Amino acid sequence: MAFLEWLQHLPVFVTIAESGSIWGYPTILVLHTVGFVFVVGSALIINARLLGLGRLAPLSEFGLLFPIMWAGFTVNAISGFILFAIAATVKAAQAIFWIKLSLVAMALVVTVPIVRIVKGGGEQDAVPARGRVLAVMSLVAWTGAIVAGRLMAYIK
Amino acid sequence: MPVEAFARYLQNTSVSLFLQSQSAWLWPLSETVHFIGLALLIGATGFFDLRLLGFMKRVPLTVARQFMPLALFGFGLNLTTGILFFVAQPYQYVVNWAWWGKVAFLLVAGLNAMFFETTQGARVLAIGAGDDTPLIFKVVGALSLLAWFAVLYFGRMLPFFA
Repeated sequence: MAFLEWLQHLPVFVTIAESGSIWGYPTILVLHTVGFVFVVGSALIINARLLGLGRLAPLSEFGLLFPIMWAGFTVNAISGFILFAIAATVKAAQAIFWIKLSLVAMALVVTVPIVRIVKGGGEQDAVPARGRVLAVMSLVAWTGAIVAGRLMAYIK
Repeated sequence: MPVEAFARYLQNTSVSLFLQSQSAWLWPLSETVHFIGLALLIGATGFFDLRLLGFMKRVPLTVARQFMPLALFGFGLNLTTGILFFVAQPYQYVVNWAWWGKVAFLLVAGLNAMFFETTQGARVLAIGAGDDTPLIFKVVGALSLLAWFAVLYFGRMLPFFA
C-alpha cells in the first residue's frame, strides 16, 4: 500500500524507529504501557463495582475514574498511532493487529452505556442488571485486547 | 561477581533448560499473563492509593480496601510469571541494570505497603465517607504510586538497557 509506505517513511517516524535513543521507540512503548494501565486499571475498578464489589460506596463516585481512563486512552491513541506508523506495512499485514483494534473498539462501545449508568447512579448503590452484563463484556473485551496486543510481538 | 556466577549456574540447571526448551509457547503466554497481572496490580493498588491521597472521598477507605484482593491476585500472577522468566534466563537479567532498578522499586513498594499495614492499618477504619486522610496516608499513597510506576518503567525498559 502506497499510503502505508509513505507514512512509514515520513522523517519523523524514521527518526523514532531508527534513532536508537531511549527517548525514541522505548519511551513510546513505556507511554503505551502507562496509558494501558490507566485505561484498563480504571475499567477494572468500575466493572468490579458494577459486579458488586465495594457496593457500600456510591456508584457515581467511581465516575471520578473516567478522566483517568480518557487521559490514558488519549495517550494510547497517540502512542499507538506512532507505534503503528513506524512499522505501518508490517502491522497492517498482521491479522492480530486488526483483532486488537476491533477488541478496543468493542470495549469503547461498551464503555458508552457504562458511563451513563455510573454517572446516573447518584446516591443510589443499586446497579441495573444491564450494568453487570456490560461490565462482563468490558472485562472480556479489554482482556482480549491485552492478549492480542501482546501476541502482536509473536504472531507475524 | 558471585551473582553472575549464580545466574550462570541456574541457567544450566535442568529446570532452567526445560523452561528454555519450551520458550516458543511459554514466553508469549507468560508475557500475556504478566500484562494482565500488571493491570490488576496497578489498577487496584492505584485506586487505593488515590483514595489515600484524598481523591474519591465518598468511598470509605475500608470499601476502597475491598478491591485489594484484585491487586494481590495480580501480584501472584506476576510473581509466578516473573520467577519463570528469571529462572529461564537469569543471566540476561542480572547483567541488566534496569532489572536491578525494577527489583529495587519492588522492594520500596513492598516495604511501603508493609509499613502502612503494620503501623496505620487500624486507622483505616476511621476514614469514612467524606473524610479526608491524614498526611502520612497521603505520603504512603504517593510513594506507592511512584514505586509501582517505576517498577513498570524499568520492566518495560528491560529490552533496551541490556
